[in-house]
Amino acid sequence: MIDWIMNLPAWVWLTFIVHGVTMGTIAYLILLERKTASWVQDRIGPNRVGLGFGIIPFVKNWKMWGLGQPMADGLKFLVKEDYRPAGVDRILFTIAPMIMIIAVIVSIAVIPWGGTHQAVKVVDVSGAVDPAAVAAAAADAVPLGARMVGQPVIQTAGGDPYATPTTPPTPPTAPPTTTATVTYRYAFQIADLDIGVLFILAILSLAVYGVVVGGWASNNKYSFLGGLRATAQMVSYEIPLGLSVLAIVVMFGTLDLGLIVEKQAHYWAGFIPAWNIFAQPLTFLMFLVCIHAEANRAPFDLAEAEQELVGGYHTEYSSMRFALFFLAEYAGMITTSAVCVALFFGGWHLPWIEWLWAPLAGNVSDAQPGLTTSLLACAIRSMVFFAKTLAIIFVFMWVRWTLPRFRFDQLMLLAWRGMIPISLGLMLVTTVGVYWMAGANPRFVDVGGAVNITMISGPMAAVLLAGNAVTLLGAMLISRMLPAMAPMNRRLRIPGSRFTHTPLPAIGAAASNA
Amino acid sequence: MKDSDVIVLEEPRLSLGDQFYIPQALIGLGTTMKHLFDVVVRGEDRVIQYPEEKREQLTPDQGGMVLRTYRGVHRLNKDEAGRVKCVACFMCSTACPARCIHIEAAESPWDDREKYPVKFDIDELRCIYCGMCEEACPVDAIELTSVYDIVGLTRQEMIFDKSKLLKVYDQTVEKEPM
Repeated sequence: MIDWIMNLPAWVWLTFIVHGVTMGTIAYLILLERKTASWVQDRIGPNRVGLGFGIIPFVKNWKMWGLGQPMADGLKFLVKEDYRPAGVDRILFTIAPMIMIIAVIVSIAVIPWGGTHQAVKVVDVSGAVDPAAVAAAAADAVPLGARMVGQPVIQTAGGDPYATPTTPPTPPTAPPTTTATVTYRYAFQIADLDIGVLFILAILSLAVYGVVVGGWASNNKYSFLGGLRATAQMVSYEIPLGLSVLAIVVMFGTLDLGLIVEKQAHYWAGFIPAWNIFAQPLTFLMFLVCIHAEANRAPFDLAEAEQELVGGYHTEYSSMRFALFFLAEYAGMITTSAVCVALFFGGWHLPWIEWLWAPLAGNVSDAQPGLTTSLLACAIRSMVFFAKTLAIIFVFMWVRWTLPRFRFDQLMLLAWRGMIPISLGLMLVTTVGVYWMAGANPRFVDVGGAVNITMISGPMAAVLLAGNAVTLLGAMLISRMLPAMAPMNRRLRIPGSRFTHTPLPAIGAAASNA
Repeated sequence: MKDSDVIVLEEPRLSLGDQFYIPQALIGLGTTMKHLFDVVVRGEDRVIQYPEEKREQLTPDQGGMVLRTYRGVHRLNKDEAGRVKCVACFMCSTACPARCIHIEAAESPWDDREKYPVKFDIDELRCIYCGMCEEACPVDAIELTSVYDIVGLTRQEMIFDKSKLLKVYDQTVEKEPM
């Protein structure tokens, strides 16, 4: 029983940990959001409900900065009536929140939390009769999802005194025992997909179905309008999102998020962390704006503009169904922020720490800074990754309580006249830079496999940075040269109105109109 | 209105930075961060933690209220002999724009006035706390106090009768003399 649990592959444990931590974090992110809103508005925010909830002895009067608030809110959502208004599409109304939460939670699976862990396992293969069986038994010992490195080391002890002259010979009655020492590696993440970036883009796009289906099924004009807006917005902003991710993919030549992170874990000029934000700041900005739009958050929260649409696509939802939409919004923030950290902030890389403490540098080979034999290092890296993610999430909240919402035409203009051309330009300068500087990049070959990924060298980073600057300047110049747009919000010319001065039509014409 | 009366304003042409939106957005982020910093680090919030902290404990420049001019729940004043001061002249109920004062007058048992109220009800839920009754009263019998935290479990409880209004006088007379 215990063996069975201990032999579970690491990703099973990671699934529990990551999803548990994510769900718990979401609850407290909602508290953080309310606190941030309050602080920005010179208020204090929720500070009454402590973890004693007013009933637990000894601590019931402790306020604890409102730390009990998320649990009280969650309990409220759980015990509320599961209300479904008349006239809604029963099936779609139920599955819409499910689609949304599933899409965002599934995509967390490919976040590379802790690099690659290399472990050693000694298994008893005495029962095997020939070398092929020994090899098969050794291969069986490698956990599911892990990759064996090199060949298992076979050692026979007990039966053959000549092979181990330093040990005292055992009595000949003992049967010889053969052990195989297996070295294997696994990525410290739930699912180590080669197409991690693509997977996240694909799955996160499904979240828009939750919004659209929820808005449609509610049989409410406000919900419907919210769903429509969300569709147009997400479709528009997925283009610059994909393009900015593509620029990073072009740099590294891989879609594997874990490899992209690993290749950022070194230094330019000896001390600058080789994070992509320093090579591609404008691309990062594009990505950041796009994930704001994808998360449907201010200033892109047109789908839930409460001043115009009551509540937006979730107007008709209440109790736990509404809570699922809410959870999905915050889980989506965690996922997209984690992707942002992986792509632009070096993932688990805590700069300069390896000069203090060697295991974080990767004590297997310099070419693979992500590879480590220490589980503790993996855990610490995960925490570093998560801390960076929380920092990005704080930026989300900070922006939400700063910038006013865009008008719909401004939103579309920003995407189609601003971000998509700039992203295309960035894509162009990145490809040119990578092609031009390809010779200046040292190449490392993974000792365990055939992976051959380029690490970005300092000169190449400088070229990419210059490319970003050129793109920004070019965009500014071109935006000055573009013809001015017709005013978007001009009044309708209503004949006879005291605000417009078109003459009234002749009496006969007006009569025929009526 | 003629065409010549219309003043047409042109939108000012945006500067390069404004047109790019990002510099202005960053300035806005700086403003909000300054407020956040003020609250979190320097503790300069604008919050009155209500049940523990009340406006009447603060000075007006701290956001406190001016007791002398605050218009809260009504009271019926008493004279030196402890009798209700009201002479049931109906001036207050006539002046009341919300029509929330209901008086029933009777012949006064005392020599110094002709009438007195046997019934004096104010519906505190209908009242808009404008203070017109106080203005109208010729004998300064009805006054608005600075008490604002009145609660009730039913609407009936919130209709204050004569005894309740006189009780408000007893509770507030020391803090706010007539």
